Amino acid sequence: MTISSAPDEALVLAAIEQVWGSMLFASAAPWPADRPAEFETGLQAQIELRGDWNGRLVLTCDSVVAGQIAGAMLGLGPEEQLDQPDVHDAVGEVLNVVGGSVKGALPGTSALGLPGVREVTAVPARDESFVVSWGDAPVYVQIVPDAA
Amino acid sequence: MTISPHAFTFVRELVRAESAIVLETGKEYLVESRLVPLARAAGHPSVDAYVADLSTRRTPAALKQVVEALTTNETSWFRDSDPFTALRQSVFPALAKTRPNRTLRVWAAACSSGQEPYSIVMTALDTPELAGWRVELLATDLSEEMLDRARTGEYSQLEVNRGLPATTMVRHFERAGLNWRINRSIRERVEFRQLNLTRPFPPMGRFDVVFLRNVLIYFDLPTKRDVLKRVRQVMAPDGHLFLGAAEMTMGVDDAWERVPAGRSSVYRIREDLKMEGSSCVL
Amino acid sequence: MRALIVDDSRAMRRIVGRILEDVGYDVVEAADGQQAIERLEEMDEPLQLACVDWNMPVMDGLTFITEVRKRPEWRAITLMMVTTESEQDRIVRALAAGAHEYLIKPFTGEAMLEKLDLLGLLPTSTGS
Repeated sequence: MTISSAPDEALVLAAIEQVWGSMLFASAAPWPADRPAEFETGLQAQIELRGDWNGRLVLTCDSVVAGQIAGAMLGLGPEEQLDQPDVHDAVGEVLNVVGGSVKGALPGTSALGLPGVREVTAVPARDESFVVSWGDAPVYVQIVPDAA
Repeated sequence: MTISPHAFTFVRELVRAESAIVLETGKEYLVESRLVPLARAAGHPSVDAYVADLSTRRTPAALKQVVEALTTNETSWFRDSDPFTALRQSVFPALAKTRPNRTLRVWAAACSSGQEPYSIVMTALDTPELAGWRVELLATDLSEEMLDRARTGEYSQLEVNRGLPATTMVRHFERAGLNWRINRSIRERVEFRQLNLTRPFPPMGRFDVVFLRNVLIYFDLPTKRDVLKRVRQVMAPDGHLFLGAAEMTMGVDDAWERVPAGRSSVYRIREDLKMEGSSCVL
Repeated sequence: MRALIVDDSRAMRRIVGRILEDVGYDVVEAADGQQAIERLEEMDEPLQLACVDWNMPVMDGLTFITEVRKRPEWRAITLMMVTTESEQDRIVRALAAGAHEYLIKPFTGEAMLEKLDLLGLLPTSTGS
């Protein structure tokens, strides 16, 4: 892993794999570029990094997938349903842990913001993000530097 | 009946998170066979039902049982902290009184991914009686793959979370990307070498302390006896042998006596047999 | 045995709570450092352990730990940071402020129990 001050895709993917594996007992893999990855309504979580590199990590997924991620984190059975604030909280915390791992791997000291979560109706552009798998569904990840 | 892909994924990720061991696809049979006894004991009709229950409840003790059923390797730092406390408080100080050349040699005989030998070095550094001493570690394992990993001294975030006190971690480790790497000064004190315990040992000198924990349990009685006998031959007459908490020499090789050391115990060569041990010249 | 879990994520409080309850702790929760101090002030029984997140709104975990250490009546509380903050200098800062242990997220249940064992706070009935 190269040490640069900006987080790259490989680093963020490795952090996601670690969090998926240890907190959600699931595996994450890169999503094939030619495979469709659309959904209608989804949930978007973001977290800010402040330091040598300034920007945010953004995670976007289908609302059903968000519910599954929250359920896996809490060890719920397939019948158990969480209400919306709980799903937002859990997905936000997953991204918080990913963000913390990424921040820790960057040189220098930086600060992590608190995660924010909202509903969205459009998926990010494929060329501005990379996609990882959650089971058989796509999760979009964006590394967004602050506008200069 | 075979384990479902869903249950296998759960177990694979659990084992990977807890031990860094990857159960490749194709190991379904292994998972099934090792988990059948646990599933039965927990009153489940199948491994799938057992894993489904496990993934819902996440009881740490039950998860630990699964990981242990599927791994045969040491994964924690200062595993079962008692032997390391005994090492620092009684074994090292006792040896320090009887070694005028201020050198100790320790053998970690099944070192796996390296946590045990590195924990021994860190313990030696924390022993005031050994300040300024030379402590040499030989760490061996059957698996070259494990040795390669151990030599790098690099561990994932999940691995450094396991049993490593925070003060020790900030003192002896540094960040390496997402991972942590043990400091060079500790890495350099350990020599890693491949060794099969069931075959005659290569020349490797004599040891003051031997760690042979949780290995004998995998051997049959004649092999255990043979290994313990050959370990005696490479140990100093006043050396100390550490076995796993559930292991003992009694009824296997009676040339050893069990001596209490703190909250754990160590094995010493029986007083009347020391001459035999030390006169063994090849 | 009683433990206080201070984390702004409900999901994380639930995960840590379940691990602790499983080994016999009674669990009290707080969503930030300020709320945690209020919980402690309300208590008439002693508390053995506090698991504290770092980044939280209102009052962060480092400030909370510093505040707890100022109060002699809370001296017996063992403080463990449970956070995604993972730089070496952060860990040193937390330990210097008075944290006894530091567990980095993501962690497994087993890792948390091993930390409790190091602190002598793993109820013996369950073993390790």
